Amino acid sequence: MTVVSSLASHIDYLVAVSLFLTGAWILLTSGNLVKKVIGLNIMETSVFAFIVTTGMVDEGAPPLVAAGLQGPFASPLPHALVLTGIVVAVSVTSLALVLILRIKAELGSVELDEIALAPKADDSAGQSNQRGSADE
Amino acid sequence: MSEWPHWLPLLAVLPLLGGVLTPLLFRRRPVIPCFWAVAVALVTAAVAVMLLLRLIDSGDFSYAVGGWLPQYGIELRFDQIGAFALPASLLVMLALVFSRHYVARTVDPEKISYYYALVLINLGGLNGFLVTGDLFNLFVFMEIFSVSAYALVAMARQPIAALAALKYLLLGALSSLLVLFSVGVVFAMTGTLNIEDAAVLLEGSSSMPAGLALAGLATGFAVKAALFPVHFWLPDAHAAAPAPVSAILSALVVKAGVAGLLRTLELFGGGESLYLQPLLSLMLWLGALGTLGGALMALVQRDIKLMLAYSTIANIGYIFIGLGLATTSAVGGAMVHAVNHAVMKSALFLAAGAMIHQTGLRNIDDLRGLGRRMPATAFGMAFTLVALSGVPPMAGFVGKWQIALGALEAGQPLPVAVLVLAGLVVLAFGVRMINALYFRPPARVSTVSSVEAPVSMWLPVLILAVASLALGLAGSSMLEFVAPAVQAIYGTPP
Repeated sequence: MTVVSSLASHIDYLVAVSLFLTGAWILLTSGNLVKKVIGLNIMETSVFAFIVTTGMVDEGAPPLVAAGLQGPFASPLPHALVLTGIVVAVSVTSLALVLILRIKAELGSVELDEIALAPKADDSAGQSNQRGSADE
Repeated sequence: MSEWPHWLPLLAVLPLLGGVLTPLLFRRRPVIPCFWAVAVALVTAAVAVMLLLRLIDSGDFSYAVGGWLPQYGIELRFDQIGAFALPASLLVMLALVFSRHYVARTVDPEKISYYYALVLINLGGLNGFLVTGDLFNLFVFMEIFSVSAYALVAMARQPIAALAALKYLLLGALSSLLVLFSVGVVFAMTGTLNIEDAAVLLEGSSSMPAGLALAGLATGFAVKAALFPVHFWLPDAHAAAPAPVSAILSALVVKAGVAGLLRTLELFGGGESLYLQPLLSLMLWLGALGTLGGALMALVQRDIKLMLAYSTIANIGYIFIGLGLATTSAVGGAMVHAVNHAVMKSALFLAAGAMIHQTGLRNIDDLRGLGRRMPATAFGMAFTLVALSGVPPMAGFVGKWQIALGALEAGQPLPVAVLVLAGLVVLAFGVRMINALYFRPPARVSTVSSVEAPVSMWLPVLILAVASLALGLAGSSMLEFVAPAVQAIYGTPP
């Protein structure tokens, strides 16, 4: 019973962890590059949600200095962290999407299994071509 | 408070600022950014030298960013791990010198200023990561050097580069999120983000959340460091990137993962936590597997850059064996090997880049007979390969010897066998490469007609090759230098 009640009282953490694992599963198993990026975003959201909830204080007041507001105050620090985290997440996502566009343009697909098959199909033609453009 | 700590933030601020300014100032001039970037890296290295002298003189010191005192504000701390900023700045500078002629042919002209900007930003992120004493700051700097590294891999023109960069990005982002999640757990447990403060509050805790945080941080940084089972992103990314970028990635960005792991051990240090010992054993054995696997994979590669990339995995294995053994000599040896390997591997990647640049070939068998056509580059590569295989008194020897010594001290003879075996394999692929360069007739027309690379390419290679001898000779003073850090991280090991 104690396990159940302690789980119930930390439902927010449970949700965060299950979202994290869902995102990680999509990222690692999906063969579609866009879906992988979506999985990454689900993970990011779960981490942000987790960090924000750690700043929550039961019956806490907003952390402001003003008349009528008294402690205990909610912790404002996690919000600052998550804001920074969101900026990082946006830049990572945009870079990933640009790379996917380039992969689509150069290799013709965003499905990993199709990309893996493609060079083998035109091996004889692609080999010399690749050699020529490889690095130099 | 003396004025010295005020120089500390410059380590990160200078390259970051210089990097951001590069495309703004020199977007239309593809030649100037190189000189600008080299100058910025040189000034950063000068600052690092001054800080290092100060560190040797009177121990580590910290700087409170914005005047907000530690515990509340962000603390920058310069200790023996932070001192890695000096080799980092110098290596990036040499890679930038090398880039001048290399990049002109491998990167589109309008992107050249962005290339230099990204390299400088990468250096700023690395330096910041090494000197920060704040957990969240650690994450932010990690993202700065990671994201710039993803973009740098994609700078190469060949089609596989974008895919390699995306694979690197996805794995890297996954590991970053594990780290961020664990930072959140530590913050929820202790209410502080300062590493020293959190370490005191955690007291080497053995609670469930502490175990979760430790596992998350260790896994996250192990992915960044390309430890054996999570190394698979490395060969593609390092082989596909432009050569100077491969050098920076293999030499420095991977080592940042090791530095992050050292910070993690610092956070949970003292040997009190029940989770620490299993983690150290795991690092030891995964390191041993990585060493053997990486060395064997390097031996069977035909592509020269892939060979070097797998050799990086083997060397990361050495470092993790040392860290996992947790004796003073082994950990000291691992930390020294991190620096020495950085120097040797950047020499090798730059030399390989120069050869690929001059001949357009990247298979080892195609590069036969290049020793006479590109004497300086080939000599630098051959010399460094000998150093890498651990011939005394060169740089590869010090770390391996110390790690083997530490293994015997810890009463574990098996890692010694791994070290010797992997050393032989490394020697084998070194001999194979040297043999191809000097003792085989040319196999391709383009190797016969090729000439020595420009000075800006072979000079960095030779400087690094000489450094790989000098660092070997300076081995004992380097070990003395890192000893206090070993004490601080592991407590007082046997």
